[in-house]
Amino acid sequence: MSRNKKLLRRLPKNIVLMVISLFCVFPLFWVVVAATNKSVDVLRGTLIPGTNLAENWKTLVSTYNIWPALTNSVKYSVVTTFVSLVVSSIAGYGFEVYHDRGKDSVFKVLMLTMMVPFTATMIPLYQMYAGMHLLDTTVGFILPEVSAVFLIMLFRQNSRAFPKEIIEAARIDGESELGIFFKMYVPTMKPTYAAGMTITFMNAWNNFMWAKLIMSNDATQTFPMLISNMTAGHYTDYGELMLAVLISTLPTVIVFFALQKSFVQGMTGAVKG
Amino acid sequence: MKKRMTTLILSGILSLAMLAGCGNAQDGGSTSGQGSAGSSPQEAAGSADSQETAGTGASEGSETLTVWCWDPAYNINALKIAESIYQKDHPDFRLEIIETNGEEINTKMATATTSGVFDVLPDILLFDDSGFQSSVTSYPEVFADLTDYGFNYEEFSPGKVGFSTVDGRHYGIPFDSGTAIACYRKDILEQAGYTIADFTDITWNEWMEKAKVVLEKTGCPLLNGLSSYNQMTIMMQSAGGSFFDKDGNPNLVDNEILREVVEVYTEMVKEGVYTEETGWDTYIGGMNTGRIAGAMNGCWIMASLQAAEEQSGLWEITNLPKLDGIASATNYASQGGSSWAVTSQCSNPQLAVDFFKATFGGSMELYEQILETGAISTWIPAADSPKYEEPVAFFNNQPVFSLITTYSASVPECYVGVYFRNARSDVANAITNIIYSGGDIDSELQAAQDTLIFEMENK
Repeated sequence: MSRNKKLLRRLPKNIVLMVISLFCVFPLFWVVVAATNKSVDVLRGTLIPGTNLAENWKTLVSTYNIWPALTNSVKYSVVTTFVSLVVSSIAGYGFEVYHDRGKDSVFKVLMLTMMVPFTATMIPLYQMYAGMHLLDTTVGFILPEVSAVFLIMLFRQNSRAFPKEIIEAARIDGESELGIFFKMYVPTMKPTYAAGMTITFMNAWNNFMWAKLIMSNDATQTFPMLISNMTAGHYTDYGELMLAVLISTLPTVIVFFALQKSFVQGMTGAVKG
Repeated sequence: MKKRMTTLILSGILSLAMLAGCGNAQDGGSTSGQGSAGSSPQEAAGSADSQETAGTGASEGSETLTVWCWDPAYNINALKIAESIYQKDHPDFRLEIIETNGEEINTKMATATTSGVFDVLPDILLFDDSGFQSSVTSYPEVFADLTDYGFNYEEFSPGKVGFSTVDGRHYGIPFDSGTAIACYRKDILEQAGYTIADFTDITWNEWMEKAKVVLEKTGCPLLNGLSSYNQMTIMMQSAGGSFFDKDGNPNLVDNEILREVVEVYTEMVKEGVYTEETGWDTYIGGMNTGRIAGAMNGCWIMASLQAAEEQSGLWEITNLPKLDGIASATNYASQGGSSWAVTSQCSNPQLAVDFFKATFGGSMELYEQILETGAISTWIPAADSPKYEEPVAFFNNQPVFSLITTYSASVPECYVGVYFRNARSDVANAITNIIYSGGDIDSELQAAQDTLIFEMENK
């Protein structure tokens, strides 16, 4: 009886939540449905899964060289995520743990750079990279992302919860500074790494503008670039397009769901006990 | 566990160092396959290669040209066929086609110009006709002047050549036709008691009367479009109209043709015989689903119509209605279509022009082969090909290609202008205000002209 009552009391709240989640899930649902339908049926606005998935796949792989683009995107994103996590976490740790008079001013300047939009630095950055012959290279893609101010801030914030006593104890025991970072800090900060990983991976995967500027080659282009080419023609095959979009969302979905639990912890600053 | 993490991070730092090494190695051109985490050998080789080819064009006696263009089913397909045709006499010739959409080409061109790094540009670029002149004017450093390379422009329709001509100099090689056609659903017209003949060689006033009948009897609007953009351009061009006077000054206020176009367009929307769509998908969807009984656009629209296979035999094409009371009015116009450009970075422009001469400017075989993708020639001799006379089942066995080529010959030449796109969007805004906010034509066109002058002065 009381259980039923509880359920009943929760009902309105649940209904509201269900409606909201329907709104959130609908675009994804629509992409999935569209990917299984013919282009004409997509334009008709059908919401019933079709039988054209295999056909769309065939057109996609026959018109576009999707594997190099997919490999590139995976490669760029994984490398960017990895390198930028290492660099930014060391920086964030350094800002919190070590003391220096200029530290806070430097950090303020760093934070200010977050206010500068990418479009403002785009052209000089491009000139620099062209000068260093980094156009059309992996290094050229990841370098602007390596020092991510947001990540540094995230790591610095979350480092506050990292007990300083441990560091001192370790120092007394004769552990090196690098040893402390890798052996004590990194394992404790797993949720923060997970959160940082999710954000960086998604940003790198969806990074379109920079890739579009520096990649001018079929062998180096990314998957989002390939997708953007698909709507350029006189005739757009929406089934094929949606299948490509679906494929492109998969990695971020996988990464997000795999790290979902830690992501929330990391964003709220939890530290693994 | 801790140990594993440490190893992971240390190995990461190591591979980062290797990556950096790779980047340098690419400079010297010696790429080894060692790039573990970062670059695969294929990618490294690819990038080094691209820097060479894109950077130096067709240098050192090499017969490779790089091309940026879009649409594998259409433009790229045509290029590949042209490549194989040219290779018959020039076995060493090769095209490196990099799929790059029009917007991306614009971004890269602007980046190259503002940053002064031009060596990233390819040898050949494709441009949409409506943006060709403005690109040449805005990015003069990008384009090679092709006037003196001996390309025979006489064999192309003058309207088409005009798109890529600036101050009497040729900067482009004409490619596909954008000749405008009117397509109607035969079955829907029949329900209203009409045939395609009733819509051939008519004026817009006559069209309006008939369209109202069709709407009343069948519930289908005759046309739709992405607001007024393409529709108004087609109508303007059919009378040889322009948003500018001969000196390139904005001419929106005392423009007899534009005024007539705005009046007709406004009436079409208000009467419900023309539906304004919010996106390309609903625009095409309208025709594919039978919600709209017709289409009026460049002939490339046929590819989208034919996606609805079950409508085969139900469509027919004819020429456009012409504007009433305008002396220069015709039933013909052009919308879309594109032209090739050779860049200033091409170190062997003669090779590029020779390639075009032998293919897009002289190969019947090429134009016959690309016809099935709907790419219709602007090279006049191609129209004599028997292929152009063949009936097309989808269009109720009309010989659509030869029909379109005859239309092409009558398209009036008109001045596009460098600020065409600005003008078009300003006028489109004015039209929107007239239709939905009850603005009057005079003040709205005046406002559009003021905006356009402001845009031109601040560019």
